[in-house]
Amino acid sequence: MSQINAYRRKFLAALSGVAAGSLASGVILRTVQAGDVPAKPADQPISNQVRWGMLIDINRLTDGGASMVEACKREHGWGNDPKARPEQQAQWIRTVQVTDKLTQHSFTLPVMCQHCAEPPCVDVCPTGASMKRADGIVQVNKHICIGCRYCMMACPYKARSFVHENLTDQRPDSPRGIGTVESCNLCVHRVDQGQLPACAEAAPQAVIFGDLNDPNSRISQAVKTLGGSQIRADLSLNTGVRYLGL
Amino acid sequence: MPLLSKIKSLLGLALFAIALVGCDAGVPEPNLAPAKAKAAQCVEPTADIRKNHMVYLDKHRDKTVIEGIRTTKHSLNECINCHVAPTREDGSAVHYTDAKQDHFCASCHTYVGVKLDCFQCHADRPQVAENPNYQHKLSSTTYHLSATTAQPDASDLLLLGSGQVQGATQ
Repeated sequence: MSQINAYRRKFLAALSGVAAGSLASGVILRTVQAGDVPAKPADQPISNQVRWGMLIDINRLTDGGASMVEACKREHGWGNDPKARPEQQAQWIRTVQVTDKLTQHSFTLPVMCQHCAEPPCVDVCPTGASMKRADGIVQVNKHICIGCRYCMMACPYKARSFVHENLTDQRPDSPRGIGTVESCNLCVHRVDQGQLPACAEAAPQAVIFGDLNDPNSRISQAVKTLGGSQIRADLSLNTGVRYLGL
Repeated sequence: MPLLSKIKSLLGLALFAIALVGCDAGVPEPNLAPAKAKAAQCVEPTADIRKNHMVYLDKHRDKTVIEGIRTTKHSLNECINCHVAPTREDGSAVHYTDAKQDHFCASCHTYVGVKLDCFQCHADRPQVAENPNYQHKLSSTTYHLSATTAQPDASDLLLLGSGQVQGATQ
């Protein structure tokens, strides 16, 4: 009982901190706020009251997202599989350069799993391995993945990769193995413990991570005032990852 | 040609005898040092965890992946942090596929011939470079697995083979 009370207290304190912070210094803050991801007691299940989302301001990403990619590689240990050809290497997040043919205006954005509310990868999975957690995080349950790669075909964002070879010394919190599909999981192991995803931590000036369902969260406030576009919004997938400056 | 076939059958018999002698050398003794170390400190009673560890792990994995419950009690990561040393005394990495079979899990699994596929995906040893305080709080001062080879005693073999290890329990 006391644990739950402490949790509630922490959660409320975090909320008030966010509100004060956003009043004081505009919507996007340069510092990472701990209140974005309230710590959940380890023995409590996740809740569908929360929907995790990420807002990326690509004008503030001076390196086009390369630091985010590096942070993801470090966190999850992909990108350096010894036997894979370059085109076979896993890619949980990548930078994509877009150029307007008419004006030659060019910009770069990081693209990863967009954590759709209606994920096509989940629709096509024959075993239920491709799944959406209650809090909106889309991931592969590798325990039941049979490696058929339907989800890779279904994903309009090319967000998923397949592991072709035996791996050793994976990161303890990020199991990866032969014959399974993998993709960005918004760093579930970190989010569950009240930490930000590695990429959001690597680019605090450009990325807001938080709860889209909570109208007082920093990300909800930012999306409300500044908008935030989805890639391939025409597919009506209601993505959790949104962009500013596209 | 009866003579040739006789020779052939004799040769066959001889080969079979050689094979039998090979079998007679007995089951190789398991390296139980890793498994015995820290047995007393496990999260469940030894007999229980020996028999049911896969059930605990199986339940915990679904809770973790699907519901985000990340308690440490039955977490595979914590098993590894406590029971596997990242390196041997000579500095070489400890992996479950090593022929030495001194990896905690492999030491029994190889002996009883049960396939161990957790580590196709999961890390089979603690990562020290990023996390120097990886160890379970229980394990810091106690026996470390790498070097010594303890002789299995009768109760170990009884438990290991559920009484079916022939000749080993007498």
